[in-house]
Amino acid sequence: MKQNAPVAITGTGCLSASGLSLEENMNSLFSGIRNVDVPTGFSSTHTSKYPVFEIKGNIPGLTDDDRKKYSRTSQLGLAAAREALKNAGLNAENLSGLRVGVCMGTTVGCAMNDEPFYRDFRDRLKPDMFPIKKYLNSNPSSAISCEYSLKGPCQTLVNACASGTDAIGVGTSWIRAGICDIVIAGGTDELSRISYNGFISLMITSERACMPFDKNRKGLNLGEGAAVLILEGEDSLKKRKKDPKAFVLGYGTACDGYHLTAPHPDGKGLRRALKEVFADSGKTPEDIGFINAHGTSTPDNDRTESKILRELLPGIPFLSTKGYTGHTLGAAGAIEAAYTVACLEQGRIPANAGFSETDPELCVTPVTENTEILKKTALSESLAFGGQNSVLILSTEGI
Amino acid sequence: MEAAVNGIGVVGGFGRGTADLLKYLKSGTVPAPSNSEFYPVYAADISYLDTVIPKRALRRIDHFSQLALSGIYLAIEDAGLESIDKPSTGLIICSGYGSAKTTFSFLDSIFDDGDACASPTLFSNSVHNAAAGHISIILGLEGPSSTISQFDMSVPSALLTALQWLEEDRVDHIMFGAVDEYCDVMGYSYQRYYGMNENTKMAPLVPGQQSAVPGEGAVFFLLSKKESAKGYGSVSSVKAGSLFDKGIVFPQDSFYILNADGHKKTDRNYHDIIPHGSLASCYTPLYGSMPVGTAFDMAVGALSFKEKTLFSSPESVGCLNESRVLKEKCINRYENISCVKVSRQDELSIITLSSR
Repeated sequence: MKQNAPVAITGTGCLSASGLSLEENMNSLFSGIRNVDVPTGFSSTHTSKYPVFEIKGNIPGLTDDDRKKYSRTSQLGLAAAREALKNAGLNAENLSGLRVGVCMGTTVGCAMNDEPFYRDFRDRLKPDMFPIKKYLNSNPSSAISCEYSLKGPCQTLVNACASGTDAIGVGTSWIRAGICDIVIAGGTDELSRISYNGFISLMITSERACMPFDKNRKGLNLGEGAAVLILEGEDSLKKRKKDPKAFVLGYGTACDGYHLTAPHPDGKGLRRALKEVFADSGKTPEDIGFINAHGTSTPDNDRTESKILRELLPGIPFLSTKGYTGHTLGAAGAIEAAYTVACLEQGRIPANAGFSETDPELCVTPVTENTEILKKTALSESLAFGGQNSVLILSTEGI
Repeated sequence: MEAAVNGIGVVGGFGRGTADLLKYLKSGTVPAPSNSEFYPVYAADISYLDTVIPKRALRRIDHFSQLALSGIYLAIEDAGLESIDKPSTGLIICSGYGSAKTTFSFLDSIFDDGDACASPTLFSNSVHNAAAGHISIILGLEGPSSTISQFDMSVPSALLTALQWLEEDRVDHIMFGAVDEYCDVMGYSYQRYYGMNENTKMAPLVPGQQSAVPGEGAVFFLLSKKESAKGYGSVSSVKAGSLFDKGIVFPQDSFYILNADGHKKTDRNYHDIIPHGSLASCYTPLYGSMPVGTAFDMAVGALSFKEKTLFSSPESVGCLNESRVLKEKCINRYENISCVKVSRQDELSIITLSSR
């Protein structure tokens, strides 16, 4: 695979249970705040109340019309895009003459799973079509593209929990190939009762707050949120006289071809994705200051990821931020990329929340306190259902 | 970047394989849709999968993924491959609605058995990239894999990524698939939006007539960097954007295949956008209306190069105001065939195949 040019990141936006902006998120992370509780947005009949990381209160910057027209997933995506565009100094007016693409990852956002509608349909009650109309309005990429009347390509990736990482990888390709001047790339997902029941049915959900990489980890907690990076080509940067805040240096992706919901025990696909991302970026493991791991807190994921960290990336500080956000599925990779950029800018990473005891089987220990980072380059990785493995290398080198 | 087409697998309401599709194209006839509870449908028969995959393995694979597997096995067979080059082959699947049947079946399991007894098998199959997961497991793929869901623009959007992967040397080959399935909720939605379809003959491009019949099926292409050894030509350009974007230029020397699919709101747009004086055709009455329909059009375009024939539009297809709709088959002298789709959200895509 060819080495490719760095792609500038000029804006970031993020919402999660840790905050309604990227700044709020980072303040929560470095303060060790974990907003994890029983779900309030829906009820269930499970005897155990599996906790979640839920965004409380109104999503900022939305109109009543947005709320009526779009699913919560698209609303979250729109809010993250608005923050990221503002952060990049962009608005609808100065986007209008440019080729602006949108590439978003999601899982829940592309599923038509409106329970009241389907219950009425099953019961032959001829349900109203509004939920179908809302579903057809709510493709996360199209929603952003429509809101800003954009003319570039639109792509919604549904690669399960790697979707957000893949969306940034695809957006990077569009900039490199000259297909777009600017790409709004990220991921978004809402908490859903359906996926809540689904993850519980797979017996990979924890009844306590999650503990990534800990000896006593019992599974994941679901979360919700969205993040967007503004990727920008050189011509647009020059015209706007805008300095990048960071760069995407590389993207690697490969599948395991092993199991629908469990990673390959030897990390087959992740190994290849890492090989690709280093080739794409021209970097080596020695250049990496820290790793934002997928770290879901499930026994299988953390075991596989630890093996790779131990063998291919030894001694590099790492953490999972899912102890602060829960597993936000299609948004996770984008949220973690946004966090990685913010950590590189601040020169520090937060403690791996939920961790207290090293698992002798894993033989790796994440950072247990807020830690200063001197190197300017970091790696963010995602593993997903379907055997998907995707990795980004991000950097503030030269800024 | 161009991507050579080296194998095609199709399954839909017309049957399975390029031979079944060609049978209808050459005869100018159309298959009859089958009846379902809510609406007529061009349903796909995937029963032959039993012959290539053990029934025991298929038990845990849902209908959507079986459609995808049918398409990919047929493409591999058509390419004349005994096995896939696993390390250097990528997989891209696109779908308008994904595995809708399984999504609703998972809801059934919650409604019928309670939250605590929801089916893990149905849940894992309902995840949008499950088909890609099943395929990569069964074929032992090792390269990149991606699933894209962009409603009516799923095919051009996913093709952009396919061309990029080849350009970036991520892979040498891509199994590119487009899949959509019918479900009862879709039939109900058709009924609510368009009323009962008394006349099940699709009549696209007939002014004022709503005649769409939903379809389902899968199309897979083996795309490679190398020149096509099969005579199918190559995918030479992909353009997508707003219908009102003047920056999207139509090739002037192309034969056009229109994905006009009997939805009167979108069909009327084709009259205005096709360059005046062009020759065009429409084959949706062979496979029905679906978000990924333009991938079926691409298959017809590639077959037109291979067979050196432009196939006539089915009799029920209407006319264009300023261009001619092909009503009799003829020798194909075109070097470019452009597959055009307009979405309900006023999006436009043009995928051009070249004979090279």
